[in-house]
Amino acid sequence: MRVAFSAAPPVDAPAVAVGVWQGGRAEPAFQRLDGDGALSRAVAAGRFEGREGQLLTVFAPPGLAAGRVVIVGLGAEGEMTPQRAERLGGALAAELLCSGVTALSVAFDLGPLAAHVAVGLRLRAWRPPAELRGRPDPEDAPTLAEATLAGGDAAAAAYRRLDGIVDSVLFCRDLVVAPGNLLTPATFAEHALQSRQDGVAVEVLEGARLEREGLGLLCAVGRGSAQAPRLVVARWLGGAAGTAPWVFVGKGITFDSGGISIKHGEHVHEMKGDMGGAAAALGALRALALQHAPVNAVAVLALAENMPSGNALRPGDVIRAYDGQTVEVVDTDAEGRLVLADAVAWSCATLRPRAVIDLATLTGAVVVTLGRHHAGLFSADEPLAKALLGAGAAVGEPLWRLPLSESHDEALKSDIADMRNCAWGRAPDALHAARFLQRFVPDGVPWAHLDIAGVADATEAHPLGPKGPTGFGVRLLETLVRG
Amino acid sequence: MKIGFSQLALPEDGAVAVGALEGRVLTATGREFDARTGGALTRAMTASRFEGKKDQTLMLLAPSGVGVARILLIGLGKADGIDAAAAERFGGTAVAQLAGAGDEQAAIVCDAVDGAKIDAAAFAAHAALAARLRAYRFDKYLTKEKKEDKPALKKVRVLTDAADAAARAYAPLEAVVEGVAMTRDLVSEPANVIYPETLANEARKLADLGVEVEVLGEKQMRKLGMGALLGVGQGSERESQLVVMRWNGTGREDSQPIAFVGKGVCFDSGGISIKPSANMEDMKWDMGGAGVVVGLMRALAGRKAKADVVAVVGLVENMPSGTAQRPGDVVTSMSGQTIEVINTDAEGRLVLADALWYTQDRFKPKFMIDLATLTGAIIISLGTEYAGLFSNNDELSERLAAVGKDVGEPVWRMPMGDAYDKLIKSDIADMKNVGGRDGGSITAAQFLQRFVNDLPWAHLDIAGVTWSKKDTATTPKGATAFGVRLLDRLVADHYEEK
Repeated sequence: MRVAFSAAPPVDAPAVAVGVWQGGRAEPAFQRLDGDGALSRAVAAGRFEGREGQLLTVFAPPGLAAGRVVIVGLGAEGEMTPQRAERLGGALAAELLCSGVTALSVAFDLGPLAAHVAVGLRLRAWRPPAELRGRPDPEDAPTLAEATLAGGDAAAAAYRRLDGIVDSVLFCRDLVVAPGNLLTPATFAEHALQSRQDGVAVEVLEGARLEREGLGLLCAVGRGSAQAPRLVVARWLGGAAGTAPWVFVGKGITFDSGGISIKHGEHVHEMKGDMGGAAAALGALRALALQHAPVNAVAVLALAENMPSGNALRPGDVIRAYDGQTVEVVDTDAEGRLVLADAVAWSCATLRPRAVIDLATLTGAVVVTLGRHHAGLFSADEPLAKALLGAGAAVGEPLWRLPLSESHDEALKSDIADMRNCAWGRAPDALHAARFLQRFVPDGVPWAHLDIAGVADATEAHPLGPKGPTGFGVRLLETLVRG
Repeated sequence: MKIGFSQLALPEDGAVAVGALEGRVLTATGREFDARTGGALTRAMTASRFEGKKDQTLMLLAPSGVGVARILLIGLGKADGIDAAAAERFGGTAVAQLAGAGDEQAAIVCDAVDGAKIDAAAFAAHAALAARLRAYRFDKYLTKEKKEDKPALKKVRVLTDAADAAARAYAPLEAVVEGVAMTRDLVSEPANVIYPETLANEARKLADLGVEVEVLGEKQMRKLGMGALLGVGQGSERESQLVVMRWNGTGREDSQPIAFVGKGVCFDSGGISIKPSANMEDMKWDMGGAGVVVGLMRALAGRKAKADVVAVVGLVENMPSGTAQRPGDVVTSMSGQTIEVINTDAEGRLVLADALWYTQDRFKPKFMIDLATLTGAIIISLGTEYAGLFSNNDELSERLAAVGKDVGEPVWRMPMGDAYDKLIKSDIADMKNVGGRDGGSITAAQFLQRFVNDLPWAHLDIAGVTWSKKDTATTPKGATAFGVRLLDRLVADHYEEK
């Protein structure tokens, strides 16, 4: 969707949005367009109180050129926030996306916050790439293609930075929704390589190079698949040369069958999204590049497909990790922590990071723990944890801190190796996984782990997107780095 | 096992436990033993991997030159790390090692350590507390246990330079030990012994300590409209009970009490939504919350806490039968709110709903804290280290977190909010009793919150911490009584008149 800002958006558009504050006070655009009182009468007739996100559509109002006027509940007056503005945009997009309307004028004027209305419109209007459908249903096809919002130059200026961020969130969603036959470690790496055009330096480690680097865990997880694993290193160096970079490490299992410890049930197809951490890491890096952010950041993507085969990793196998520690793999379906362990250790050893933040759709346990409204945050570094919590709250990607504890080492003890990759039974697996990862982080490196298994995919439509991938993490990390 | 404090003097017989600091540094008594034995302690430390690190131990049998039967060296770690918790690990470890060694008498030597965070009296008091806690044993049904398998230790003397001060510091802790032991007994007892009426009878015994105890039966609860609690118990032959305990520690009539509420499902078969057989015997401890609340009252009354406290436990048995509650049933709680019972195995929250409402309605407390072995999800979430803390109040939460850390019963706060509350919407009633697998402990807490009006409230989900599968320094495996010390300390630190 194209968005533009104007001091006076057209009032003869197919759809024009005006606003009413909670309690009933109409904003100026409403008053201008109310003419003989058609809008006021609709409000009076319609149980409309101006609650946030409440919508009331008046078709072909007499005396107006607009095809329809959508009256938007703006919520409590004087308390507009970026997040609320985004939800309002989202509500409008949900209403109009497939309505036949091609252009929307947002006539209510929120000043610079109109930029966030535009963000909400674009995020909520996202659909899975059209190429995935052979014969799109015309009834269900998006029609809304452009939006002009009141707010003028101030909003346009505020939107400039947000535009690239939204692009990056949508880019992330496109990756997550792509099925495993289309998005493999190889094609994922190609997507990453395309960000070279945005000034990102991309390096892809694969084949013998991966083995030589000693990324034993990543190689082992990818071994069962005909699609070879890769480590993608994408660098945005917009800051002063030599400044220690932020490092985002992403789990990128392009499809997770579980391997020999194979998954079962009706949800296995969702495992095409088990690369959500890598997509968010790359998305965040892209968001920084698109705005030429004066920072240094690196996204490290551990890409592999986890498949059962004659050459697959077996339960019981002992694998040597990048940093020399050995892991007994008792469950090949606890593979995310394996590829991350190597990627995190490799990043710490080779990138001299300012901080390492890993993102992963890591455990089912975190969904049992926090449901779908918070991602799990694990960190022993107080300033980093606080900064992440703050960034998450600011952009509506909330985190909840969970305990990191050495006490889990006992559950992770192996009889024959330095550790095993998980414990069986009714165990706090999200906590175990976090502790497992921590053992691959050298002392002194600020590190945080985000378990996004509950939030990377929405089980139902929400204010800023349809059911499906959310792009959780992109805005969070961008905000963390940009402050 | 009896425990007492004596002035420090070199023990002449029995078993002795002595501390050693990291770096193989003996404390004063250790040095004296070392001198008397011609350096036997130093040689033993050098010959072994004992370095004096926390929790390391080294046993010397019948050392020559002294009369004692054995000397147990226990690592204390670094001097500046010695706090109450370290003292408890020391005392607990001593008893764990010496209880079954064969001696009837033992001395736990608490030498003063320069640079320690606590003084010698506090160290000795906490060592004694832990010794008692660790010596707990639930063996009444072991009728054929061999004599050599039973602990021989009968008497422990805690030796310190500050014996009188230590004894004074220990006195209130002794009451806490009694409370913990009562809770552990209640939790350990099988469900054919402890059921709603017998648990109520145990609570009645607190009257001896000055606690006012009132027991409501089904008839009275029906009159009050406690349809949620009664629905859970209706499948069982055992009559449901609601026990109200009041401790008026200030002596004032008009003060506003603080309140504790406990889930007491004396056996939870799951009801018609019956549980799988494996490990179902564990469900005898689904009254852990009520057990803690009763033991807490014993501790508070035992040490004559200067606080006004009301405690309410809802006691039921959840059984499948021809009269049992069915999935799909709609019940009306005392609050007037209706509940669709989707799963009869999510019964704890139904019991608590009425118990919480009753407590706030009748007593208008300053705050309410409930304890419950409420969800399996909390075990997946936090394991067996932390209890889950859910609250509408930051101050109460922070206090609970702080005292939890102090007494080694840590709690971890979990999120709440509207997004979770939506998950318990019902199509035909005000709410349903389960919200699905995602965030299962959170939706349970949201359910409870619907029965809490505008007062500070905290819910502790103790399903992961009520029963321990392994020994720890202060808890033999089995019932832990997690919560008694936590809440006793909360009251002591924040809600008692000085």
